[in-house]
Amino acid sequence: MAKIIVDGKEHECEEGQNLFQAIKAAKGRPLPHFCYHPALPVAGVCRMCQVEIEGVPRPVIACNAQVKDGMEVRTETDRIADVVQQILNFHLLHHPVDCPVCDQAGECALQDQYMNYGLYEASVDVEDKIHKDKVKPIGELVMLDAERCVLCARCTRFTSEITKTHEMGIFNRGNHAEIDVAPGRTLDNNYSLNTVDLCPVGALTSRDFRFKRRVWWLENTPSVCAGCATGCNMTIDHSEGTVYRCRPRPNVEVNSYWMCDEGRLLYHRLHDEDRLRTPVVAAEEGPRTVDWDEAYARVQSLLTADGGETRRVAVIASAHATVEELHALGRFADGIGAAKIGYRLEGSEMGEADDLLVSADRTPNAEGARRLGWSQFLGEELRAQASSDTVLLVLKNDFAAFDENGVDLLSAYAGVVVLGTHQDATMDLADVGLPVLSYAESDGLFVNEKGRAQELHASIAGPESARHAVVVLAELGRLLGKEFGWEDPAALRRDLVATEAGWGALATGIDRTGVLLDVVSDGAAIGAESGSEGGGE
Amino acid sequence: MAYSVHGPKAVSGGAGARLRRGEAFYLVEIVRGMAITMRHLLYNMFHSSTMPTLEYPDERPEHGPWLRGRHRLMKREDGSPRCVACQMCATICPADCISILAQDDDRPDVEKSPESFEINLLRCVYCGMCVEACPCDAIRMDTGIFELAADSREAFIVDREFLLNNTTDGVNR
Repeated sequence: MAKIIVDGKEHECEEGQNLFQAIKAAKGRPLPHFCYHPALPVAGVCRMCQVEIEGVPRPVIACNAQVKDGMEVRTETDRIADVVQQILNFHLLHHPVDCPVCDQAGECALQDQYMNYGLYEASVDVEDKIHKDKVKPIGELVMLDAERCVLCARCTRFTSEITKTHEMGIFNRGNHAEIDVAPGRTLDNNYSLNTVDLCPVGALTSRDFRFKRRVWWLENTPSVCAGCATGCNMTIDHSEGTVYRCRPRPNVEVNSYWMCDEGRLLYHRLHDEDRLRTPVVAAEEGPRTVDWDEAYARVQSLLTADGGETRRVAVIASAHATVEELHALGRFADGIGAAKIGYRLEGSEMGEADDLLVSADRTPNAEGARRLGWSQFLGEELRAQASSDTVLLVLKNDFAAFDENGVDLLSAYAGVVVLGTHQDATMDLADVGLPVLSYAESDGLFVNEKGRAQELHASIAGPESARHAVVVLAELGRLLGKEFGWEDPAALRRDLVATEAGWGALATGIDRTGVLLDVVSDGAAIGAESGSEGGGE
Repeated sequence: MAYSVHGPKAVSGGAGARLRRGEAFYLVEIVRGMAITMRHLLYNMFHSSTMPTLEYPDERPEHGPWLRGRHRLMKREDGSPRCVACQMCATICPADCISILAQDDDRPDVEKSPESFEINLLRCVYCGMCVEACPCDAIRMDTGIFELAADSREAFIVDREFLLNNTTDGVNR
């Protein structure tokens, strides 16, 4: 341990620690900065985080200094205020100040620093400013405005140190220095939108989010990406029932500060045309929209055999469902004596892993399903249960899209009831389709491939007549004369912790970084390939 | 009992005051009231130039340049809106009556422009904050139009073209 004195107050930190971080911890807020980022190597180019150190004659940038025991640091002297203001003046000298048309406005480091440390009269006329490339698409998803750049080199450090794809660089010198992609290259790696998050100003903006919504109108809901088994932490930015963008939320245990583009853009699916907004029943001319009462009446008639007795039920779970939904389905199946087929067809949703974050398993909760005792199913299990005396109940599983055998087998069942979010291939084959809330619209848990349980939070409300899958399961239970007694996912989580082994870690609550669950020793069936290494820190 | 239909005497008389016999009969009071009305009527008939009311709508009131009337959107030289859809007006608006959809603009000197710009005139409280907030002097409330009438609620939600065509001559279009 080392002791440093920051603005007259003693603070304990590690010897050799980065001085910028030590001061941030001591003061509770960071020094002004553009280039410093905890996950990138120190560049020391923006010169904003200058501090006075006792015994050193000139101001020193804190991000490139190390803590030494007994160090006395001053951050709020007149001299430092003057230095920071002068440096900021340099940064803004040729800045176009086009905040009205800039998407970064509202979350811009230049705006914040100017209000906190600047407030001087501009010394260059707008007419005298140097002009550079504006509105230049440098990749499928990223727009460059070189005039707004402060040359902090975060984007170039990201592409050279994290993705190691080296698309970006700083070209020319002095006033004419600007960032750009290397000649003949485009910024097209699967992590390109991280450069937009990293950019402290409006030089790099997202073409996906471009001009959609002003950032101060967005509400932020912490959640978890549903794109693959890595479970990157993210923030869902939404407003008035529409999701506008997803951004990574730092979690050094899972995704560091990053997230892949594929995962970020998944939110478009929430608002797709084929989103199931009302219950549907099969009719000769195609799916017909009905209200919930009529849909349940149809389920009731499917469940009743010609002789009047109740038919058997077989259920299919999904690695896209939350832990609570899977637990509800398990209890539902046990309660009515239904056959549990499993959670997916083996290999059906395996993609390719990369060496940064993306996992080969493109489902967010396969580990959770496995821990709840669900196994993967092959075509055989589906065939074994197929009979004209059995109704198939499917929860959030689009297996028909992956396996044509499954399609043929479905007609052998007395009826197919699907709880889903979209009018997908499986939903097309359903006798009754019931709209349920998606991962972005409900609270719940996903367990990532390393056994970390992470919380989702409801961001937007979802389609008006969609219901939470656990509520639908409780209502289906009532149709069969079973009262399960849960009303919401929270009740199911309490029940899960109380009744099932291996979920004890959730009992004490769960924080923003998730909870690592106990290792399950029984070695339940999990796919031959258990995904990639994941974790990019 | 600060206000009373009984007039000053009754007030000074307190709760127990009674009307005099003539007042209680009312007829005399009605005639006196009619006399005041007739006096004003006859005076105004012969002195119409000093009458304090206006022959509205044939005659229009004069107002100063500070009047905050119906909004208008300013144009560039080429006739397109000056507005860059920065949403400052929609952000500051206390009545939440402005809704703007932004679009990418293809012109080299214009990066962003409003695809749609709607003001709900029924919601507007005419505070003028949008005019203050605008960084481009794209919205003004100097048209002098203060009337607000239409035959449906939807007609009060005015669009970009309507606002661009408003001018300062005070004529309600």
